[in-house]
Formats: sequence, structure tokens, C-alpha cells
Amino acid sequence: MSLTQRVLVLGIGNDILTDDGIGPRIVQQLEKETLPSLFAFQTATVGGLEILEMINGYQGVIFIDAIKTRGGVPGTIYHLTPENFDETLHLTNLHDINFLNALKLGKTLQMNMPDKITILAIEIVEDLEFSVDFSPPIREKFPEILQEVREFLKTIE
Amino acid sequence: MKRITIDPITRLEGHGKIEIFLKDDGGVENVYFQVPELRGFEQFCVGRPVEELSQIVTKICGVCPGCHHMASGKAADAVYGVEPPPTAKKLRELFYMAHFVHSHIAHFYALAAPDFVVGPTADPALRNIIGVIEKVGVPIGTEVIKQRRIAQEIQALLGGHQTHVVMNIPGGVRKGLTSDERDDIVKKAEGFVEFSKFSMNLFKDVVLGNQTYLDIILNGPYALKIHSMGLVDANNHVNFYDGKVRVVDTEGNEICKYGPNEYLNFIAEHVEPWSYLKFPYIKAKGWTGFVEGQDSGVYHATPLGRLNAADGMATPIAQEEYEIMYKTLGGKPVHNTLAMHWARLIELIYSAERSLELARDPDITGKELRAPLDNVPSEGVGIVEAQRGTLTHHYWTDEKGIVTKVNIIVGTTNNNAPICMSIKKAAEGLIKKDTEVTEGILNMIEMAFRAYDPCFSCATHSLPGQMRMELVLKDTKGKTIRTIKRS
Repeated sequence: MSLTQRVLVLGIGNDILTDDGIGPRIVQQLEKETLPSLFAFQTATVGGLEILEMINGYQGVIFIDAIKTRGGVPGTIYHLTPENFDETLHLTNLHDINFLNALKLGKTLQMNMPDKITILAIEIVEDLEFSVDFSPPIREKFPEILQEVREFLKTIE
Repeated sequence: MKRITIDPITRLEGHGKIEIFLKDDGGVENVYFQVPELRGFEQFCVGRPVEELSQIVTKICGVCPGCHHMASGKAADAVYGVEPPPTAKKLRELFYMAHFVHSHIAHFYALAAPDFVVGPTADPALRNIIGVIEKVGVPIGTEVIKQRRIAQEIQALLGGHQTHVVMNIPGGVRKGLTSDERDDIVKKAEGFVEFSKFSMNLFKDVVLGNQTYLDIILNGPYALKIHSMGLVDANNHVNFYDGKVRVVDTEGNEICKYGPNEYLNFIAEHVEPWSYLKFPYIKAKGWTGFVEGQDSGVYHATPLGRLNAADGMATPIAQEEYEIMYKTLGGKPVHNTLAMHWARLIELIYSAERSLELARDPDITGKELRAPLDNVPSEGVGIVEAQRGTLTHHYWTDEKGIVTKVNIIVGTTNNNAPICMSIKKAAEGLIKKDTEVTEGILNMIEMAFRAYDPCFSCATHSLPGQMRMELVLKDTKGKTIRTIKRS
């Protein structure tokens, strides 16, 4: 983390599991096209303790994760807060702890936890089939999704 | 008949759930544990060079990527009929011991300790790792995170990345270790040994020193008399990286012992119409259903299964603790499901001691990192012990090393039948006629499941997190009469 990189954009998911990897794919794209700025970009596959140290020291964190809701429209981006953490697909980890507890743990241990946390949860279609390609609805909407995330980042100061 | 559904993701499609069907008198009729299926992994692998698979398989599962990387690397060695040089094998094993250290620390402090340090029926808001730290103190919590991080750093150093590991290539490893790096790992491994001893003492003080908890472990509805599986070395000592798979029966007698390429002669898989996940069983016994006993085909491949299947541990402190556990619990084999937590801590000590042994081994900084590939590739099997059970990768290739077929039996799949049986037994023991099913009872049922440290990221797909549960009591017409939620 450099002195100027105060906000971590963290894409979570599996990039060989069809739409599951939309978070990492967006982050990889943004990292390529973004000039040095306040943003740092990283990817992860699971939540829990794994991300506790990744977010340590940042003032803000923007998670980009996948979500599946009944009747949800593919490509919809939900803006969530940590209280909604368990509705997304990866901010929890069966092997250890959920994100909210990871955050509380960080504070209990006097780690430098971010003040501002936003979760961008993207409605996906398919996450049970191995593929490096998105499902057709997500493939079609990916440019719009990416643009919406770009626009959101512009609102962060 | 009433139906209870424990659905960890009630607002999401698919994924896993536990359903408990009650009789009209309120007792348990049956229990079903279901997880969905990931599709298309074999097709994803077919047509790729076999050496690519060790990197691809780390993405099957975010929880145990190192295990898949090791099994895959060994399978690729076997495909090429090559044996890595001693330095390469020891570097792989050193990486793998660090993987065990970080995983077992996470399981004990984040998943096991809340039930015993805070209490199995305590307020769920407190029954978590933060509640544990409130009881044991912040410095210990800080040490947990530190030791886990150090284990990850060793993996990243040796494996190129702690999660997306790129260490193994057919016949060896990509990079070696400098003497400075070795010296640093020695210091870190010394820290592992001290911390693992501390964790065992904490378990003894807080858990074994509490008669209530000891009663739950010994006399609660958590015993399952089934066979035990684990990888052993030439001395029949527990080994995570290499050796033969040994299975002992419910009395501790050896049923079979086989090398990786023989596994299909000894293990078969049963299919149930209500589950995507298969149910492996001992071929010599046959599939006899979800039953316990000497004639059953069901086995478990867990930390306790590994210790039961072995004659001892290969390192001194772990061996001492191994003897204490069996003496305390009345001899071998042990069938108390919750003793898996004790066994896991003995394995943590072993992993720590073995890390130190390997780091001090003069071969570890050797320069011969890869054996030449002189044979035409064809077919090979690699087996390691994952934290969650025996992990088998079996690959077939054409003469150019291009994958034509893949078969994987992951750790948790071995334990599919035992997990179902343990959940049912716990539910039967805890839910009787007129029992008020509280959140505490739900948690005590979940304790049976949690002891296995199951991971469905690779068996199927990740359940999204710590079992978020919703228990729904339904009447025979499907009408919900009561709901209990726990996040």
C-alpha cells in the first residue's frame, strides 16, 4: 500500500467458475486502466480471516462480490453495507468466520480497520459450472456493469 | 410428520441445507444433508497440458488450495513416471506443513473454541472468535492472527503465492530456498512449535478441565463407530504428504493399506438420489447403508481418523500428546466425534515440529530441484492428506501429456456419509418428544457437522459462510408453524 492508496478495491470470487469471478474480473480490468490514484486493487477467493489482513491499514474498502437473489435481474448492482455482508457469495467463509466478525475481530485486536466499507454485489446467473466465460446475460451486460463501477469509483474522494 | 429445514442461505438459490424430518410425536424421523454440484470440471481440464492442472486446481477451493496443488503435483509426477529429488520433496512438504499450521489454527480458534471456550449454548452473539478472545485475552488473539499470517508467508515464499500456488512442476519444484530464507523459516517454525504447545495446553485447561465439556465429548450424542482412514509412512506414522493409505476397522485392525495407484481396488462410491455428493465406502465391506459397526462400509478420513489409522506420530511432542489422548479416552481407536478437535491439535503440533525438522534439514537448500522427464506420459494418481481428509487426484493423458480424463475424490467427500450420520445422531439425541428446539440445540447439532471441518468449496461449492441457519418447523401439510433464525 502506498501513501496515496487509501481505498482498497477488492474483487472476490473464482474466475474459472462462470459468473462467480465477476468481482476479480472487474478489478483486473480497473487496475489495467486506472492511473495511479487513491485506489489499490486486489483479488481474493474467500472471505473470513483471509481478508482481514488484506484490508488492514486502508481508510476505505470497496468489495466487489457476486450475489444471487430469487428473481433478481442479472447485472443489477446492489450497494450494501457490512450489515448485509452475508447476502453476497464470498464475504463469508465456512472454514473460519464471517466478514462482520472478521471486522469486529480486527477492531478487538486494535488492527487498523477501514472506517468506510461498501459492498457492490452484482446479481449473477451461473456459479456452479466451471468456465472462464461469463453466462450470456452477464457477458452482454458486462460493459454496463463495469461502467457503473467506474462511475461509482469517481464518487469516492 | 413435521419437517425442520436448516438452510444456511434461505434467501439464495441452491446451495446446502440440513433437513430434519420429525415424527408426529416430535422425535427425529430422518435427517438429510444436501449440497449442490459443481459441473464441468473434467471438461474444463480435458485438453490442457497436465502440468497446468496443479495451478488450475488451486481455484477449485479457496480454503484448501495447497492441498489440491500438492495432490495434483504428485499426480503429474506419476503421469510422467518421475520421482522428484529429495530437496524438491522436502520443499513441497515444508510448504504443506505451513498450510496445515494455518488451517488448523483457523479451525481451532475460529470454529471449535467458541463452542468450548464460550459455551455450546451461549448467546450466539458471543459464541464466536471475538467471544473467545474476550475470555482468553487480546494478546492471545493477536498471536493467533500472527502465527496464521506467518504460516501464510512461508507458503507464499515457497509456493509463489499463498493461494494461487505455482510451486510444483512434474518431477519437482520451480524454485529453491536460500540459506537466509531457510534461517528465517527456522525461527518461524520454532514459533509454530511454541504456539501449538500453547494451544494444546489451552484446550486441556479450558475444555478437558471442564467436566461439563468433557461429558459432552465423551457422553454426548457425538460418537460414531466406523472405520478410520489416513496416510501413513513406512513406520505407520501419520504423514500428510506421502506414503500409503491405511484403513483400520472399528476395533483398530488393518482392513487394507494401498498405494495411490491402487485406490480404485479399495474405495468405491455410492450414489443416493437425494444427494449430488457421492458416498465413498470400503470396497471390501461393500455399501451397507448409513450404519455403524464392523460390517459397515462407512469410514471417516479426519484428523481423528488419521490418528486412529496410524500407529503413532513421527515427531516427539506430537507422539507424547497422541499417547495422552488415547490413554485419556480409553485406548484406540477413538470414536468420539468431538475428539476430532483434540486430534486436530495433535496434528497442529506435528505440523509445527515437522516444519522445524524440514527447515533444519541440510537438503532443504539443495540445488537439485527437478528430475528429468524421460518417460512418455500416460496415467497417474497423487494422494495427500488434506486437512479435511484423504485427497486423491487421478489423471489420464495422451502421449504428449494432454489431459484426457480426470477423477478427484476430495477430503470432505470421504466424510459425506459420516457427516450425515453424525448430524442425525446428534439430532436424535437432542430432539426428543416435546423438546423445545432452541438456537442452542441447533448449535449443538451443528457441532457434529463442524467437527469434520467440512469444506464444500471443492466437494461441491462453498456454502456461503458460517452456517447461517433458519430452522423451520412445518406441519404435515407444509404449513410453517414456527421459525428460528440464526445468523
